[in-house]
Amino acid sequence: MANLATGTAPKKLVRRNASLGDRIFNTLNITFLCLLMLVTLYPFLNTLALSFNRAMDSIRGGIYIWPRDFSIENYKYVFNQSTIFHATLISVLRLVIGSITTVFCSAMVAYTISRQDFVLRKFITIAFVLTAYINPGLIPNYLNIRDLGLVDSFWVYIWPGLIGVFNLILIRSFIDGLPESILESGRIDGAGDFRTFFNIVLPLCLPVLATVALFTAVYQWNSWLDVFLYNSSNINLSTLQYELQKILQNSSAASSASSAFSNPDAAANAVTPIAVRATMTIVASVPMILMYPFLQKYFVKGMTVGGVKG
Amino acid sequence: MESNIKSATSSMTSNQKPTGLKLFFKKLVQQRILVLMSVPFLIWLFLFKYLPLWGWTTAFQKYRPNKSFSEQEWIGFDQFKFLFHDDRFIRVLRNTLAQSGINLVLGFITAITLALLLNELRGILFKRVVQTVTYMPHFLSWVVAAGIIQATLAPDGIINVLMIKLGMIEKGQELLFLGIPKDFWTILGLGTVWKDLGWNTIVYLAAMATIDPSQYEAAEMDGAGRFRRMWNVTLPGIKSVIVVLLILNIGNLMESGFEAQYLLKNGMNIDYSENIDIFVLTYGINQSNFSLAVAAGMFKSLVSIVLLFIANGIAKRAGESRLF
Amino acid sequence: MAKKLLLTCMAAILVFTAACSKDNKNNGNTAAPSTVDGSPSTSESAPASETPKDKVTFTFFNGVANAPDANMNETTIGKILEDQTGVNFKMEHLVGDLKAKVGTMIASNNYPDVIDPDDGIAQLLDAGAFIDLTDLINKSPNVKRVYGPYLNQMKAADGKIYFIPFSSQVGDYTPDPEINQGAFWIQRRVLKEAGYPKIKTLDEYTKLIEDFVAKHKDENLTGLVSLTHDWRFFSTSNVPMHLDGYPNDGNVEVDMTTFEAKTYYTTDSTKRWLQKLNDLNSKGLFDKASFVDNFDQYIAKLSSKKVVGFFDYGWQSANARNLLKDAARQDPTQDDFVYFPMPLTWDGSKDQLLDPPGFVMNRGIGISTSAKDPERIMAYWDNLLKEENQILKSWGIKGETYEVDDKGRFYRTAEQIKKIDEPFNLKFGFRYYNWDWPQYGTNSTLTDGNAFAPGYQPEVFQMNLTDADKSILDKYGVKTYSELFAAPDNRPWYPAWGIPKPQGSPEQIWETTKDEVTKKYYPKLVLAKPAEFDKIWDQYLAAFGKLDTAGYEKWYTEQIKAAIEAAK
Repeated sequence: MANLATGTAPKKLVRRNASLGDRIFNTLNITFLCLLMLVTLYPFLNTLALSFNRAMDSIRGGIYIWPRDFSIENYKYVFNQSTIFHATLISVLRLVIGSITTVFCSAMVAYTISRQDFVLRKFITIAFVLTAYINPGLIPNYLNIRDLGLVDSFWVYIWPGLIGVFNLILIRSFIDGLPESILESGRIDGAGDFRTFFNIVLPLCLPVLATVALFTAVYQWNSWLDVFLYNSSNINLSTLQYELQKILQNSSAASSASSAFSNPDAAANAVTPIAVRATMTIVASVPMILMYPFLQKYFVKGMTVGGVKG
Repeated sequence: MESNIKSATSSMTSNQKPTGLKLFFKKLVQQRILVLMSVPFLIWLFLFKYLPLWGWTTAFQKYRPNKSFSEQEWIGFDQFKFLFHDDRFIRVLRNTLAQSGINLVLGFITAITLALLLNELRGILFKRVVQTVTYMPHFLSWVVAAGIIQATLAPDGIINVLMIKLGMIEKGQELLFLGIPKDFWTILGLGTVWKDLGWNTIVYLAAMATIDPSQYEAAEMDGAGRFRRMWNVTLPGIKSVIVVLLILNIGNLMESGFEAQYLLKNGMNIDYSENIDIFVLTYGINQSNFSLAVAAGMFKSLVSIVLLFIANGIAKRAGESRLF
Repeated sequence: MAKKLLLTCMAAILVFTAACSKDNKNNGNTAAPSTVDGSPSTSESAPASETPKDKVTFTFFNGVANAPDANMNETTIGKILEDQTGVNFKMEHLVGDLKAKVGTMIASNNYPDVIDPDDGIAQLLDAGAFIDLTDLINKSPNVKRVYGPYLNQMKAADGKIYFIPFSSQVGDYTPDPEINQGAFWIQRRVLKEAGYPKIKTLDEYTKLIEDFVAKHKDENLTGLVSLTHDWRFFSTSNVPMHLDGYPNDGNVEVDMTTFEAKTYYTTDSTKRWLQKLNDLNSKGLFDKASFVDNFDQYIAKLSSKKVVGFFDYGWQSANARNLLKDAARQDPTQDDFVYFPMPLTWDGSKDQLLDPPGFVMNRGIGISTSAKDPERIMAYWDNLLKEENQILKSWGIKGETYEVDDKGRFYRTAEQIKKIDEPFNLKFGFRYYNWDWPQYGTNSTLTDGNAFAPGYQPEVFQMNLTDADKSILDKYGVKTYSELFAAPDNRPWYPAWGIPKPQGSPEQIWETTKDEVTKKYYPKLVLAKPAEFDKIWDQYLAAFGKLDTAGYEKWYTEQIKAAIEAAK
């Protein structure tokens, strides 16, 4: 245990002075990545600009990365919906509980099916993998969830997605990649499977667990279909994305309704789907984008398995 | 590492030689901790994923959701016949496989390449910034992303403007990219890469994080250049993840996505944009014919599972890590 | 250490989760029926008895997402109605896919008390989700007064009435002074330059556009755009029907003497229309991006002031046109870019672009089989249909949202108009009661002669006109835009597209396939080299020939004759 996770990053290695080829590579690499960032940053800046532009003006199109007619009305409109704050709380709850349970449960099963000597290994693996490719259909699924008593309940956000096949296999292939000697050494020390799992496998798999946590968090944060299908009539269980969907749908009705009475002031401040969509994109994605750097450190620096090579 | 596992496997199989039910149960008792750690989740799996599979019977019914199982009208293979009945199905199937095939290849190559390039960066800060920025488009809904793609490809969009500036086309001859049927797959593929590149890279970065730095050190001692290090250390280090994900995704070839095609399709490109999911939406869900959707789902599952086993078998033959 | 802590936390939460979920499952099982079946949540002590003042709340699922979810008694109108009847509705709106939502309701056999399923109505009828309303209607004088003339049409095949549509005509027909229906729109400056000509045919209209663009070469103008995106494709494909002098009956033109329904997708009229577009395209006057643009791009083009003309339905292009109108309101020189509607036909004969008084029969509101107390729901509707309450839901409260002049005419002051913005609409309840309930149709007239809908009251309309509006209307010798158009003939079946088609029926399949064939071939035809047009047209005819069009027309003719019978 002591010699694990020393945290030596590759860059700390002694390197010879960068050769010419190296420098050319670095320059090209950085240039390319900067161009790539331009392309991937643009849609976001465009959305941001639209969200800060007066809604009726955005209809005219032609907004790129800067608002033409600055306004915070769109944000006021979105945050004026009183339901949004409670919904955010539910979203955070499902994100936290969902991510923790998914990471933990997936890792546990992944550990068992990584054990080559486990008699049920193949059976469990296939049983799980097949579920990625079968879909019972919308209505049977609904009836099943209802029969399990999960309709109108918070736990419908957690239970059905508890273990995803992709995550499971991902973690397993990481455990497979761990040097056998470490796992063995644990066993020789007389550690049971529980202890091996908790004390050796989990800490060593931190990069992949962070990845799975990120995937699950984003999935939990973004999903609203389960709210729609199972909890739509219970406002106390509504989530941020679902409320934002509602606001978006209302906005299209609102933009056409306000024009019907040709009330110039109302029309000038009316919201439109384009503007609301941009605003809700920003509102919903900024927390996910801010969360990323915190998880990044687990796989940018990397956990290294020092002293056990060979 | 590989050899370690292999030796473990072989020793295990040799231990198992005197097979039999008795031995199986004996082992089960021995491994009760592992059983305890996994079997509850098997029950979960059964309850949530396999139990509702009774729904597949609706593919053979003229399903009416308000009626009980015994009251349903059985129609045999009619839904499947409708699904497969003309050459249109071949086209829809072709589009599905082509779209997801292109997405698969492009997605893998670009994500691994980006991960390699990021791994070569020295500055941690720059690396993190690139990672975060490329990750951002993933959070745009397809509605927003498709809107930007449509604006970019419009006759007055940036691509046409650039092509005129570069003298590739004359003014007035602007191309309707989304109206050129054969370009649709490319547009969809590039659009998907653009949106999900950073997101797809995460997995490989995580895999690279576990590579033992001493391996780089050793390679460097041997005088390996940068590309050789990538080739001999980094790629082998993430190979098992690549292979396993590839197998999973090959099984997923029947799922080519739905939203992007739905938003980018139009009358002009329909021959190349319409995939199975859109077909099912038009003739199934929109007509409240849920049975057709289920029939199509069954067909997709079947093909997927066949593909999965083939891919897994190939990996096994090649001596690579595999799913099961 | 930190890791240890984290793991401990994880484990703790897992245990907690498991414990909670167990509790919750039990709760879920016992609690679910009472919360979902909409039993009176605010009911006072005694069980629902004869005393009508007992407060009761029903659940209302609205398949149209047009407002935030709300309790009706939190709106001004809803509170007044609750005081009158003791009934409140908790309205939930659709958020995701309607068919999926309705499917799950049916499968679980658990419905809200009241449902306006919009497009999902066939699915619910098929599932037997609605109760028969015939007896309840017979006991409700106001429902009978308003819907009396339509009761025959409202009957299902089994003779029962399962839902109440929204568009019954009460009193005289009040036309919409604005053009919300189909029209050929043109920039006002074109008419100004040409000396306000009276245009009657498509050829004159395109000539006008052609000349104007030729005169303004350096302005980079687009002659004509057409909306084709997704389901809005009908804005392009319906045009031949209107040029033939028919209103928007969907896929058929109904002969006024024989009442035969004929589709028009393969007629000379459609060929002529597409050839016209082809011709304009070859002259560089048609925006070829029309076939790839999405709706946002289309609206942006219309508001760019660069598009000279287009055909579209008023309600669909309203956002763009209102933007231009608002600009003109602030700066009169911008009036040049406001669009003016024109009724056109092939030969200059009578147009039928305005909707005739119609009764849309495939939309409506019904009481579900899960509803506990249908009588009180119907009593609420009956009360709502009293004329005073129809005035309340449409005009609001006298002195607050409208005024009455000494001749008894309703109007709104400038201040009131200003006050009624979107938040007000929600708070007052105009938005919630605007549609989705049994009500007077929009073109109805109150017994005292006032228009039922404020927007249709000439006094309200006049107040909103700018000087430039008045001047151009004057040039054409009319007071309202709709006066430019011919009065609609009486068509008891109107709209034919509203005649319900059974789910998965050959008619539905015909329409789906027709959409695909036309969406595929129209762009080819329009963008082709003129010399190749006929060849592609033949290919199109061949592809269309695979459809059972005769069967579709036969079905429609039968339905239309039945509708005429029912209306007698």
